[in-house]
Amino acid sequence: MVEDVNENTTVFPGEVIKDVKAVKGVTILGPGLKRNEDPPNTLRITRAGKLQFKPPNIYWVSHNHKRYIPKRGDLVVGIIVKKAGDSLRIDIGSGEYASLSMLAFEGATKKQKPDVQVGDVIYGKLLNAHREMEPELVCVDSYFKAGKMGPLSNDGFVFTVSLGLVHRLLDPENPILTALGKVFPYEIAVGMNGKVWVNGRNTKEVLTVLRCLETAELHDDKVIVELCRQSK
Amino acid sequence: MMEEAKPIQLSKSILDMKFMKKTKERVQKEQEDAEGKAMYSNEITEEMKKSGNIIFTETSIFNCRNLVEGRLSFGGMNPEIEKLMTDDFTKKKQEVERKKETDISDEKMAQEYSTLVDTIGNKFSGKRNKNKRKFLKPSEDF
Repeated sequence: MVEDVNENTTVFPGEVIKDVKAVKGVTILGPGLKRNEDPPNTLRITRAGKLQFKPPNIYWVSHNHKRYIPKRGDLVVGIIVKKAGDSLRIDIGSGEYASLSMLAFEGATKKQKPDVQVGDVIYGKLLNAHREMEPELVCVDSYFKAGKMGPLSNDGFVFTVSLGLVHRLLDPENPILTALGKVFPYEIAVGMNGKVWVNGRNTKEVLTVLRCLETAELHDDKVIVELCRQSK
Repeated sequence: MMEEAKPIQLSKSILDMKFMKKTKERVQKEQEDAEGKAMYSNEITEEMKKSGNIIFTETSIFNCRNLVEGRLSFGGMNPEIEKLMTDDFTKKKQEVERKKETDISDEKMAQEYSTLVDTIGNKFSGKRNKNKRKFLKPSEDF
């Protein structure tokens, strides 16, 4: 049992955390944690990793993994695998395909549907993600605006990275993506599901981004930043 | 204003009118909610008692770690996205930079102060001061 919660304590599945901090009786759990039944008001670890706590009341276990478990509100990159009437099946790398309504695009109506084909890549938000239900994607926000979401251009290139790397890349403190951006222009869509879509001026630059992210999987941020600095 | 002061009950015949469709739906939902609340309020199960008084809500790691949205563009590749990025990406980046800056300046401040104390101290323990004779209080009996 872990009595006191220190940041970066290594934890294993089955361990119990006592003295859970809560604000107005609410505690927010990230991945790797479950509510424990007995004794009450404790947490049970479900994944091995480092226990993290962010004041005032957020707990999660950080660890690297490859399997994506859909979570509500995640922005993901998916590939259309099937068109069935008004809805699309999207491969987002989870156990089950997600469904995306043709009407969930900006400006789409029953008569005027978006022009998407099987094999197209989509950047969307998970509206619904429950263990027992099919995940549901949308490409509009609550104001029916597309914003950053929607179909991604066919010129790009899609590959899969580990989820640990995705979390690292999207950390505002991480310099990798900005450092690459200083070398050559490119656009990227990093999905929380580990799928990454990259587009650049030419194939060589797209592949450079791919290689950089593959290297970042095994190396420190500094290595990539140093490489970018040298190639400038 | 009126509605806040006292909820108006609309008669059934008014609600059945064609243009009152939306209001009718709302009123029905309110009624159902009230009924549901009354039904379940006195049904607190053993499981509820056992589970304690903290409510645990699950969220994605996106919110835990305060990550940025993954749709990004650099160097003017997609100006549309870069315009949208200012809301999220640029703001969070700036926040981090600011944090870093203040972190360094605090540390530097302490360092600077400690060296300042030394330099001021040197001023008083310099050559000139060492040679200067100290003032000795004259004894009373001379």
